[in-house]
Parts: sequence; structure tokens; C-alpha cells
Amino acid sequence: MSAKASVGTDVRAPSVALPLRFILTGIGALLTGCAWLVLRPDLLATYHYNQYVIAATHLFVLGWICSAIMGSMYQLVPVALEARLHSEKLARWHFALHVTGFVGMVVMFQNWNLKYVGSFGSILALGVGLFIYNLVRTLARIPRWNVVAFGIASSLAWLALAIFAGLYLAAAKCWSFSPFEPLAQMHAHAHLGGLGFFVMLIVAVGYKLVPMFALSEVQSARRAGWSIVLLNAGLAGVFATILFSSQWKIVFGCVVVVGLAFYWLEILAILRARKRRNLDWGLKYFLTAVALLVPVSALGAVLAWPQLPLTPLTAQMENVYGFLAFIGVVTFAILGMLYKVVPFLVWYASYSKAIGRGKVPSLAGLYSPTLQATGYWLFISGLLLTSVATALAHESCVRAGCVVLLASVIVFAVNIGKVLIHLVRPRIEPLVLKPTLQGVA
Amino acid sequence: MMNTNETPVILDARGLEPPQPLVVILEALERLPKSAEMRACTDRRPLHLYALLEQRGFTAETEQQNDGSFVTTIRHA
Repeated sequence: MSAKASVGTDVRAPSVALPLRFILTGIGALLTGCAWLVLRPDLLATYHYNQYVIAATHLFVLGWICSAIMGSMYQLVPVALEARLHSEKLARWHFALHVTGFVGMVVMFQNWNLKYVGSFGSILALGVGLFIYNLVRTLARIPRWNVVAFGIASSLAWLALAIFAGLYLAAAKCWSFSPFEPLAQMHAHAHLGGLGFFVMLIVAVGYKLVPMFALSEVQSARRAGWSIVLLNAGLAGVFATILFSSQWKIVFGCVVVVGLAFYWLEILAILRARKRRNLDWGLKYFLTAVALLVPVSALGAVLAWPQLPLTPLTAQMENVYGFLAFIGVVTFAILGMLYKVVPFLVWYASYSKAIGRGKVPSLAGLYSPTLQATGYWLFISGLLLTSVATALAHESCVRAGCVVLLASVIVFAVNIGKVLIHLVRPRIEPLVLKPTLQGVA
Repeated sequence: MMNTNETPVILDARGLEPPQPLVVILEALERLPKSAEMRACTDRRPLHLYALLEQRGFTAETEQQNDGSFVTTIRHA
């Protein structure tokens, strides 16, 4: 047989401190962002082209989503693709640049000082450059390419373009050289990041995580591969047609939807073939996020319709589209993913050395399923209320919805806190020894 | 490398949700006789296992099987 790996060889998981620092930063940004929306519901109840909305959006997108995703990728990519992370030192530098960059950007967006936005954006971009370089070098080590690796590589390419487009936007605002319509540029930039990096990763990682935790396998590698190909092709077209304000964006939007339809079909097939009948809450969060792609796609198709007039309602529906995409789909998927990643990181750091030598708690014993369920239903309620209120431009109801969302995120943070306690106070009990091992299991 | 005459202990840790394969393998190794070796079957390459094996004084070698699963042969160093 091939693909041997011995102890001391190149295939190992990274240290737990690295992903944890990104993830905890992300959770802090999520709490701050939700509290901000509670204090300023007008950010959702009015049209999104102003400095405060852009500042809040970058807090969610860079501070929360990118921090959580990048930290998780440093953990998941080496494990999922069986290759050691190229450099943990580079990743630590990335963290410093990332935090400096996104905090500075959010503050400067709020003050609408675009030269400083560009400066802090460049710091962030340098960090992203290190991140991409690190993962590309890691991908270069993987023993064999599969649909997960293809999806991750695609997402990194779109991330690079999204960052470049963001810097271009800031520079164009400072020196007024861009031939493109400002709102079109911003929407194109948002789709590169949202669809290209975030949704592409949800798709790619889903092909690894859902089979792993539902105890199943990818049922059709061809169908899974087509979902990635169509997403890439569709997004390239969506980006260009939005940028040039072309009527053809509906066509490429439909290509994206077909790619997502392949994804949904494959996820359904994986779930039908699963050996584990009861899905845990982490997986339920993730799969709900995948299901939320359906209304987001439908809304995107409507908004891409040729000659759709910009009315107060359609303008608010654009807000709903962005809110459902970033908070509904991406945030919900990440919360589910973190309910897998964080407990494992903490459990491994606190208990792996004691396995077999002491009685250690199970992974599920680190957090509260009741809090998971509470957080799930609060999130769904908050999402629905905020979406409807945003569509109706009703500030009081937006605030009420965001209060429910904030409550959900606080419940999540408390549950993660319960997990983290095990880092400082591990619960290892004496082991009751069983009879000597006999052999075949 | 130790050449053993004992029948290797076969541990089937397939079909378990992570991190259960890690747990059952390490628990079983605590009771593995010095002269014996273990062959642990898993659905995925046990990346988190290697550092722990090294700390506990074991050597290991993983081979991928035709069905996509992995067999890790573990011996006392």
C-alpha cells in the first residue's frame, strides 16, 4: 500500500493556541457587532450606502467572519487535507496584522477617513497575503487533490481578489480614478468576499465536516466537483456583470444557483446515507445555514432581475439580502462549525495526555446541549424578526430582532465559556482499570 | 523496530465520530503488552494521534487501504 506516515513525519495537527486566538477574537467582534445593531437599528432600517453601515459590515465580515474562518482553517485544513501547516510562525504574524488591520479599518470607516482605511486595509491585506501564502504552501504538500482541496484553493483565490478589490475601492474613493459606478464596485467587492470566500468555504468544508460528523461519505464526487466548478464560473460572471452594471447578471446568478443546487443534492445524499441517525446541534446549525442559502439565492435572483427599479422596498430588500447572507447563512454556519472546532481544541489540549490514564470527560460533556438548543431557536427567531423588520424599514422591530440575535450570541458565548473553563480547570478523575486487552474488536 | 511473534492486536475504530477513535486507541494502548503490536483501523488518517504516541513512547506507521480507510501499526519504541 502507499501513503505511509510514521511518527515524527510531516503530517500533524497545528497547536491549539493558534486557531483559538482567532476564534475568540471573532466571537468578541460578533458580540460587539450585534450590540452595535441593537444601539443603531437604523443601520438596517435605512439604505446601506453610508459610512456607519460600511463600518459595521466590516466589523462583522473581517472581525467576526474572517477571524473565525481563518482560525478554523488553520486547524481544519491540515487535518482535512492531511498536510502539516506550512508555518505557524507566519500564522501568528497574520493574527497581529489581522487584528490591527480590521480594528483600524472599522474605526476609520466610521470616521470616513478613507486614506487611513487604505492604510489599515493594507496592513490587513499583508496579513491575508501571509494567510494565503501559508495555505497555498500547505496545499502544495497534500498527498492527493480532492473536491475539498479544490474548493479551498478556489476560496483563497477569491479572497485575494476580494482584498484587492477592497483596496482598489478605497484608493478610488481617495483619488477618484475609477471608471466604475461606486455602488456597483461595492456590490461586486461584497460578492467576491461573501460568495467567493465564505460560501465557497461553506461548500468545500461541508463536503468534509458533514460526512465526518454524520458518519457518512461523499456520494458523488462528480456532483460535488460540479458544484465547485459552477460556483466559480457563476461568480466570475456575477462579479463582472455587477461591476459593469450589466443586465446579464441574472444569467450568471442562475449559474451560481445551479452550483448550489448540486451542493444541496449532494448534502442530501450524504445525509440519507449516514450511519448516525440523530444529528447533534452543531450539525443542525450548519445544515440550517445551508438551507438558508435557498431564500438568499431566491432573493438574489429577484434583485438581479433586469430593469428592476430601485424603490424603497427593493432598496430594503438589498439590505435583507446582505443581512441574510452574512448573518443568516455565513454566521449560522460558523456557529455550527465552532461548536465542533472549539470543544475539540480544548478537549485535546486539556485531556489528550490523560486518555487511558485517567477518566476524562467526553467531548459532548464540555458544553450544554440545552444552551445549544436555546441559542439555535433564539437565532432563528431573531433572524426572522430582523429580516421582516428590515424589509419594512421598521426601526423598533429591527432593534427587537437584534436584541434576540444578541441574546443568541450571548448564549453561544456562555456555552463556549463553559468549554474554555476546561483549559484552566481540567476535570480528570482516577481511572477504574478494566481487564487486560484480549484482542480483536 | 521490534519484531514480535505475538498475534497483533486488531482494533477497529471505524464508524466512530471524532475524537472517539483517538480515545479507544489510546485506552487500548495502555493495556498493550510490551512485546505486542496494535493495528488500529480508522476512517481517517489519525493526525492527532501521532504526537500523543510519541509522548507515550510508541512508534507508528499508517497505511491507506483500498477502501479508503487507514491502518496504523503501533509498537513500543
